[in-house]
Amino acid sequence: MARAAGGRDVIVASNLSRTFRRADKQTVTALDDVTFQIGRGQFVCLVGPSGCGKSTLLKLVAGLMLPSAGTLEVEGEAVAKPGPERGMVFQQDSVFPWLRVIDNVEYGLKCRGVGKDERRKSAEFYLERVGLSHVARAWPRELSGGMLKRVAVATVFANGANVLLLDEPFGAVDYVTKRNLHDVLLALWTEAGSDERRTVVFVTHDVDEALILADRILVMHSGRIVDDLAVEAPRPRTTDGLMEPTMVQHKHVLLAHLGLEDTAGAAGAPVSAGADP
Amino acid sequence: MAKRFDVLGLIGLVLLVAIWQLLTLALPLISLPHPAHVAGRIAEDFIVADYLLFYGLPETGLLDSMLYTTGNVLIAVALGATVGTVCGLVTARFDLIRSVIDPVLLVLGTIPILVLAPFFLIWFGTGRTSAVLLVAIYVAVILYIYAQRAASTLDPVYEDAAYTLGASRRRVIWDVLIKGTVPQILGGIRIALAGAWGLEAIAELLGAQQGIGKIVQVLAGSIDMEGIFAALLVLGILAVVFDAFTARFFSYISAWSVEARTGGG
Repeated sequence: MARAAGGRDVIVASNLSRTFRRADKQTVTALDDVTFQIGRGQFVCLVGPSGCGKSTLLKLVAGLMLPSAGTLEVEGEAVAKPGPERGMVFQQDSVFPWLRVIDNVEYGLKCRGVGKDERRKSAEFYLERVGLSHVARAWPRELSGGMLKRVAVATVFANGANVLLLDEPFGAVDYVTKRNLHDVLLALWTEAGSDERRTVVFVTHDVDEALILADRILVMHSGRIVDDLAVEAPRPRTTDGLMEPTMVQHKHVLLAHLGLEDTAGAAGAPVSAGADP
Repeated sequence: MAKRFDVLGLIGLVLLVAIWQLLTLALPLISLPHPAHVAGRIAEDFIVADYLLFYGLPETGLLDSMLYTTGNVLIAVALGATVGTVCGLVTARFDLIRSVIDPVLLVLGTIPILVLAPFFLIWFGTGRTSAVLLVAIYVAVILYIYAQRAASTLDPVYEDAAYTLGASRRRVIWDVLIKGTVPQILGGIRIALAGAWGLEAIAELLGAQQGIGKIVQVLAGSIDMEGIFAALLVLGILAVVFDAFTARFFSYISAWSVEARTGGG
């Protein structure tokens, strides 16, 4: 199992299940007896086809939903409700349209009673880090989709969460914007130094995105975790780095799990990397 | 943009008066009074209208009646909007309460004011209370529907986001549910206010001691068309002026929304 060296596990799930009752009275199992641990400071990507339960898993960790069975602990405490120690970036735009950009970034701090000057300073710092200082006083409707994602990322970082949950956050933005957002996210995540890095769980269905970002990739299918890959490539991960044999191997495995390549090809030597010893 | 609308609006008004003037040539003055005469009546009756003394009313005029009617309308809108908005927001989030309140308010909203008014006059007399409560009911129904729809269409992701940022339940209600629905609720208040003038006038017609509607009722008995037109014109001007102010004020409050930018409602 790919586990962080040292520090204890931050997220521990044991036999976690979650079922839903559909409108037609059928019971659907979104998450089926899942057990895993995520170590402190790890950047974990959850990959799987749509409907595999990855968003459900993230909502359970966020506390926006409760498990039907099993236990889930974050920092040693059972998750019962949402809390600021688990920040979330949603698939949809969740930046409040009725607050100016900087007030959005400050919102979590305001909720927890942080003083005006201190929270403004923190918000300005993170807006600067995501390259949005010039629109601090703008209304969200005046920003592009990619900029709104930057605001959402700045907001969770400013709020100081130890666990960051990102649910396909960059799914709806164009390729160039997505690559820029990866850089922004990784820069914020790595600048803390490896001892103090926040734990990140990043849901995606984009194999390349997972390979660029993750220390570890959990593959889900039909409500179960079916694979657990350690990605040990050095950062920053360049285009050349992604063509290293191990990365290509990972990509084949992931594509096979998504049903895009047959398993034989994934299990054996990757075709495209064959010439590379 | 606004300047052009003002000019166009002025042209519209001038056209209306011109058509009115033309019609007076075709129709007898007894059924359609002359615009200049009506304007004269407004000036004449503004502070003290002598004929009202003749009908046994205290010494009063259009100004007093305007103030009375305006007061009633504003109280009714404030009361109705508060009740309607609160019920609408609550029912949008709690299905159980919704299934209890929905039929009551929606049935109440379909009862014509002419049917409801006599009961209120018997229960609450011909003072302010009857008129205010009558108008407030219709305002409440409109705001109930607007607030409920606004809260139902507000993406739940905002509430989830607030909770994950550490917001308390009370904060989520105020910072998300209320702030996020404000533009639509204000749009509803504007529509309710526009309708409230007419409802208040009807309520006064059916039984009141004073107000614009009372003047119309008194004058209708003596077929004083000039006086009726003068009273109705004053009421119309009041409605337009208040609408212009609320529109300006509301678009300032909703500056963040797309609706405020496009000038929609």
